Amino acid sequence: MPRLALTIVVAALTLVLGGEPATVRGQALSGEYKIGVLEPLTGPLAFEGKRHLEGLEIVRDLINERGGVMGKRLAFSVADATDPTAAASEANRLITREGVKIITGTFSSRLCGAASEVAARHNVIYWESSCVDPRFNKRGLQHVYRTEIDATGFGWYNVEFIAKHLAPRLNLKPNQLKIAFLSEDSSYGQGVTESARQRAKAEFGMQEVTLEYYNWQTLNDMTPTILKMKQLNPDVVHHIGFGNDAVLFWRQSKEQNFLFKALVHAGATGYGGADFGKALGNDANGVFALLEPGPGFRLESLRPEGQQIERAFRDAVQKRTGSYPFGGHQLAGSGLWLLKLVLDRAQSDAPEKFRAAVMALDLPVGSVINGWGVKFSELGQNANERVQHYMLQWQNGQLVTVWPEEFTTLRAKWIPLGPWDQRK
Amino acid sequence: MDPARPLGPAQIDVLAQLAVATVLLGGIYALVSVGLTLIFGIMRVVNFAHGEFLMLGMYLAFWAFSLWALDPYFVLFVSIPVFFVVGLVTYALVMRGVIHASHNVQIFTTVGLSTVLQNVALVAWSGDFRFVRPWHLSTVLRAGGTIFNLTQVVAFLIAVALTAALVAFMRWTHAGRVMRATAQDRDAATLMGIDTDRVYRLSFAIGIAAVGSAGVLVAPLYSVYPTAGLQFVLLSYVVVVLGGLGDMLGAMLGSLIVAAVEVAGSYLFGAAWKEIFYFLLFILVLVFRPAGLFGQRGAETLGV
Repeated sequence: MPRLALTIVVAALTLVLGGEPATVRGQALSGEYKIGVLEPLTGPLAFEGKRHLEGLEIVRDLINERGGVMGKRLAFSVADATDPTAAASEANRLITREGVKIITGTFSSRLCGAASEVAARHNVIYWESSCVDPRFNKRGLQHVYRTEIDATGFGWYNVEFIAKHLAPRLNLKPNQLKIAFLSEDSSYGQGVTESARQRAKAEFGMQEVTLEYYNWQTLNDMTPTILKMKQLNPDVVHHIGFGNDAVLFWRQSKEQNFLFKALVHAGATGYGGADFGKALGNDANGVFALLEPGPGFRLESLRPEGQQIERAFRDAVQKRTGSYPFGGHQLAGSGLWLLKLVLDRAQSDAPEKFRAAVMALDLPVGSVINGWGVKFSELGQNANERVQHYMLQWQNGQLVTVWPEEFTTLRAKWIPLGPWDQRK
Repeated sequence: MDPARPLGPAQIDVLAQLAVATVLLGGIYALVSVGLTLIFGIMRVVNFAHGEFLMLGMYLAFWAFSLWALDPYFVLFVSIPVFFVVGLVTYALVMRGVIHASHNVQIFTTVGLSTVLQNVALVAWSGDFRFVRPWHLSTVLRAGGTIFNLTQVVAFLIAVALTAALVAFMRWTHAGRVMRATAQDRDAATLMGIDTDRVYRLSFAIGIAAVGSAGVLVAPLYSVYPTAGLQFVLLSYVVVVLGGLGDMLGAMLGSLIVAAVEVAGSYLFGAAWKEIFYFLLFILVLVFRPAGLFGQRGAETLGV
């Protein structure tokens, strides 16, 4: 038996290691330019990882129909980053065995840190499209870039929405607003919440009435928290939920008749996930979630070049999946498109030339997929103001785009929320 | 309650509502824990897969509801025999082999079983959060200023009924007496002619039937997903230790105590504190009353 096992292992190793062509550096001659793609394709993060890969493949094809990169056809070397250890070892493999000079990925904040660390060690460019860990760009790594905003950017946008849209519609000045902060305690939840708190207080003088963190995985009852908040009478509840907790808070708030004027969330988890609508149906009406653009998004509000690529992108997603783009498609797709724009300018994957091209890229909002613009900071982070994000609202079973108003045909309703049974 | 404010009618309402929340949450914890106290108390097996059987119960309710629109209260009747059989099969395939092994082996085995069940659920039904929404889900009852969620009230009543039934079973039936004898001293029970293997099989099957049915009952209240069991499993260990191993009434009271600590802690100090409080309580009980608050002194070492 052990001998059989050994044979199988050796055979597998031969296939995996020996099967690869030894001359990946020959890609310069083949008319193909290969980049590394790291996404979680198995394990608990696979669902989103696969969607990201789908978005990348769709945009890769769009790029190839439009001249490829640096005059060559763009190709992927895909690796499965199921957890941080695999992310690091696969990044290493892509660099040393596949010879890639650029790696993109990775959807999860659990993965991007480990993978980019390896890339930096090999002086390879790391182009992150969607992880939101605020620490990502703050490690002094020269060739690590991120096209999406980080968790603190979500907090920035939420407060922008509360101060500039909700406050006037509630006939209150921002400094008259009372906010209750509630969040699950992951690095994401804390990143969003802390940056929102800071901006709400420092820039707008909003009144924070309470701050509460909890572990969503062991939370079985939110009644005590709701009863406490009810007495504090907040105008706005800023709640970053993850899953069950969002549904539990909303359902039990209704049971306890906890009335507030608005609830604002950020991200595709909790209130931002399709599950929330499925769990509550029309009872979900009125909740706000900061996301990528959804139904209601006005293409005409983008610049001409933005309209063109956004339309092509949506058609391609529709053709492949039969539906409107999901967040994973949108983040990965726009990230890859921005990479193409940088390579068009740099005409090189040499890290220094590439960096110069990244820093020189300056496009206003509305220029690319999702209506984004570009302006990278020295840290390699795309600017909050350019990575346009949108406030979506649950309206009769659907999350629709409601803000900024110039980007959408639909309008935010139920401000203030009003009695629970009258949000029809 | 805001300590700075005088005790007005509004404050009394909040206090009453917190008490109601405690009792109703305690009912859910009791539902999950009675099966565990049976398995832990009689077999002395630390079943780390307990939460996964709860999760399977939740999925049973979910599928019955989404495929055939069956109300969880109807599914409850089906779930008892179904999970009894699941318990028998699990015992035959997994537990029987390790029942006489050391605790370490049992822990590794049940942790392994737990991981297997979670991943089977993940592969078969994906990691999505699913929901069961029967018509009575958001029905609330009002009494004075306090509000009761109907589903939780029913869960509480069934928890009480289940506990009472198990107490009666253990006290007054032959099988119950045999089970208690085995719990007290496995070797002596064998010498008295008790087929301990059969006792363990029965205890395990009853325990799993209880937790599977608990899953069906709590499915409308929480999201259904592959690791849903983890939400309750550690907590049910606290309950069982608090109440004393194998003590059904103890588990019921332990559940109410844990719920009270959780509700009061969340209200007064914040939700992040609740686990600190009930695990502190757990440690204190282990240090000062290792047999549990209501258990017999010395019972913790019996049969181990």
